[in-house]
Amino acid sequence: MTMVPQGGGSAVGRGGGSSGTLYDVLELILDRGLVIDVFVRVSLVGIEILKIDARIVVASVDTYLRFAEACNRLDLESGRKAPAQLPEVVGGMMEGGAHGKSKGALSGAVDAVTESLTGKSRGDEEPDEEEEAEEEPAPRRRRPPARRAARREKE
Amino acid sequence: MALYVYAITGKDHPLAVGDVTGVGADPSPVRALACGPLYAVVSDVSEEIRPKRRDLLIHQEVQERLMEGGPVLPLQFGYTAVDEEVVEQALRKDAEGYLANLERLDGCAEYHVRASRNEEELLRQILRETPETRELNDRIRAGDPDPQLPLTLGRAVAAQVQERQDALAAGLTDALVPYAREHDVRPASGDDFLNLSLLVPDDRREEFLTAHAGLVRQLGDGVEFRLSGPLPPYSFVR
Repeated sequence: MTMVPQGGGSAVGRGGGSSGTLYDVLELILDRGLVIDVFVRVSLVGIEILKIDARIVVASVDTYLRFAEACNRLDLESGRKAPAQLPEVVGGMMEGGAHGKSKGALSGAVDAVTESLTGKSRGDEEPDEEEEAEEEPAPRRRRPPARRAARREKE
Repeated sequence: MALYVYAITGKDHPLAVGDVTGVGADPSPVRALACGPLYAVVSDVSEEIRPKRRDLLIHQEVQERLMEGGPVLPLQFGYTAVDEEVVEQALRKDAEGYLANLERLDGCAEYHVRASRNEEELLRQILRETPETRELNDRIRAGDPDPQLPLTLGRAVAAQVQERQDALAAGLTDALVPYAREHDVRPASGDDFLNLSLLVPDDRREEFLTAHAGLVRQLGDGVEFRLSGPLPPYSFVR
């Protein structure tokens, strides 16, 4: 274990070779860990909102329509080279793994939450921490359908 | 004076947290409070704490430094006790349980794996492999005005997305769990389809990381993995 005891912690910041970020371990820090019932939890106003991102289910008309639209706009001929398969381990469906999330459709909420975490919108007083925040998920979110569509119409 | 409580360790822990200052607007040094066979790792805080991002990072940093010296029971973020007396009583009361936990977690660290799929790739794959969705999609693109079509297509695609994500999550879990002493699967959030924590013994760490890297390679660009760790065993304290 290589610890660099300076700044904002290692596994959280940029744990050697891993791509973990504060955002990814936030749920662990906030929701897991030992709870001792005679202790009092400080108010998590401003941080609490981070927890709302999880429980949104895939089954909604909005989600259906968004999926349909994304399909309609999809360029079906590209991207054949990357089959996301895991042949030898994809067995049936078992133990409640990832439940109910649609992609993309939820990103707005998550981004908002991420912003509130990273404090970008609040003008955090600790600029050196902002660099780590930049690695966090907001830029990763994919909203490609619109762009695709525009390109297709030109063709 | 109120205390912020970070973690519990055994009495034999070296407690080398260095010069970390604690959480709060007016931080005090992080220190250990002896409680029978245990230490509580604490810092003084004023009664009013409005936690900030810095506090989360400090909470985490204290855990990481403690991990270097031996097993640690990380507390959930944000817990305070009104005074030392309360901390001592709480730890003494459940000392047996905490000691058993420390023993159980000795020599292990948590690794946390999240993964998301490239949505376009996934949708393309679904359209390619399920004639029903392909046909619906073709009809809509050809201008069929039936307002039910998008809903039917979307519902079918959503079901496929769910099924494929679940199957892949289960497959990935199966592939990684053999390297862990315990594991914990939680509902994924946002764009992720996998939210998996593994309690990996130190002597299996390399194997685990190799296996993880193998999955990353095997799945290529279609899946984005995010691995965090070694972390204190947040998901495995009881």
